[in-house]
Amino acid sequence: MMEDLAPRIAAYLAHRMPAASHVEVSGVSRIPGGASRETYRLTATWEEGGKKMRRPLILRRDPVASLIETERDVEFNAYRAFHPTGLPVPEPLFLETDLKWLDRPFFVMEQIENCQAGSPFNAAPYGALGEKVGRQFWTHLGRIAAADPAKTGFSANMEAIAPDACWKHELDKWEKVIDEDELVPQPIARAAIRWLRRNPPPPPPRVTAVHGDYRTGNFLFDGEGEIRAILDWEMCHLGDPLEDVAWAADPLWAFQQTERPGGMIARAEAFRLWEEASGMKIDPVRLRWWEVFNSLKGLAIWISSGKEYQSGASSDPILAFPSWYCTDVHNRVLAHRLAALSKEARS
Amino acid sequence: MKPDVPVVMRGLFGTMLMEIAPNLTAEYSAGSIGIMSMMIFMTAEEYDRAAEIRTAENAEMRALFAEAAGLVEDAGLKAKLAEAAKEKDASLRVSALDKENAALAALLIELQAHVEDSAAPHAAGLEARIWDYLVTAADRRKLTFPALG
Repeated sequence: MMEDLAPRIAAYLAHRMPAASHVEVSGVSRIPGGASRETYRLTATWEEGGKKMRRPLILRRDPVASLIETERDVEFNAYRAFHPTGLPVPEPLFLETDLKWLDRPFFVMEQIENCQAGSPFNAAPYGALGEKVGRQFWTHLGRIAAADPAKTGFSANMEAIAPDACWKHELDKWEKVIDEDELVPQPIARAAIRWLRRNPPPPPPRVTAVHGDYRTGNFLFDGEGEIRAILDWEMCHLGDPLEDVAWAADPLWAFQQTERPGGMIARAEAFRLWEEASGMKIDPVRLRWWEVFNSLKGLAIWISSGKEYQSGASSDPILAFPSWYCTDVHNRVLAHRLAALSKEARS
Repeated sequence: MKPDVPVVMRGLFGTMLMEIAPNLTAEYSAGSIGIMSMMIFMTAEEYDRAAEIRTAENAEMRALFAEAAGLVEDAGLKAKLAEAAKEKDASLRVSALDKENAALAALLIELQAHVEDSAAPHAAGLEARIWDYLVTAADRRKLTFPALG
């Protein structure tokens, strides 16, 4: 049964907004997606300075079990860093770790209204708006890479990382997830890990903000095809910007349209726009490493979500589905890719 | 069981997606039933082929191990490969086949890692043979995504 969160959220908002009175919350509705956190849409109303105020909000609460285990303060800080830069991200409002309010940590941010997210499992997720959306999608990603993580505050409270350590840091992290969560031996994932370790990529020209899950489905666009909100920063970190480029172009999104990644614009044009906005060139050798890595990272996430479901930690089908379908896709993508790389190395 | 299980699963998929989901007022519940319906659609395919896929994979891995046992020089690995190659699936229950499949996959990982580090004359051929198997197995397990449009 759905718990009645409205009065509890209203009490919290009243606490955080001392100048407000008669705080009320209505229309609390859990929304799909955001598999690593419970996401709720709601509307807050209050009185302040003799005026009636109304604001639609989003509340993201830590789950009991999740697709990925992430720190909500890292995600909240990413919104705080990029919102003032003009990048379309919602305004972050309150971060709360005291369990007395909603039993689990959560944060509150602006709700972007009258928008939708495209499905990552649709060959044409943006329909006739695909070209327009795609050009913004890749340009915005370039802008994330171009931003100075220290100046924006993105890297505040993050451990610094050297350019030549980015690949190993990420690979170690996701290999550990597979080590801890695999329910059956994973020959293709293990082969990918060995290949990645034997073929380390060149370092990036500089360490940048990495969104970590920048893809079809993780942003909102309006009826005119304007991207209004880049969401789901829960896996953001410092690293090689080609990690995001490769994830955005991963074959999983929009059914393996490798020449039109994510069902938007042509790959060559996408990469040109990214280079223009980031001020960096895409090194094909580095990109290849991050492409293989991202399919492996995908496998790690799907393996982990399957374990959460199978263990009984969660009965949310959003955890079981990717463990079936996305594991299947990434195993095929990696098997074909690594078989070709193996042949190339032996010839 | 009649009607056939895949027929029933696909029927449930259509009912959940076209009749139940649109009548749910809670957005999250509608999203969840959409996901569940897709998984039921995939179950229809998997129900029919699950045993065949696993028996084929297990037989192919054992054949590969029999071949590799005659090539690899590491005595311990050679013995494990020869032993695994002799085994047979004792039951056609999917759970039993899965258990055997997992044991064989673990040995395949060990063999592949060994071969990748080897410069022996047989290494390139054996590595290619392993990849042929992995590509075939991954393609064979491909799940059909339901046409939603």
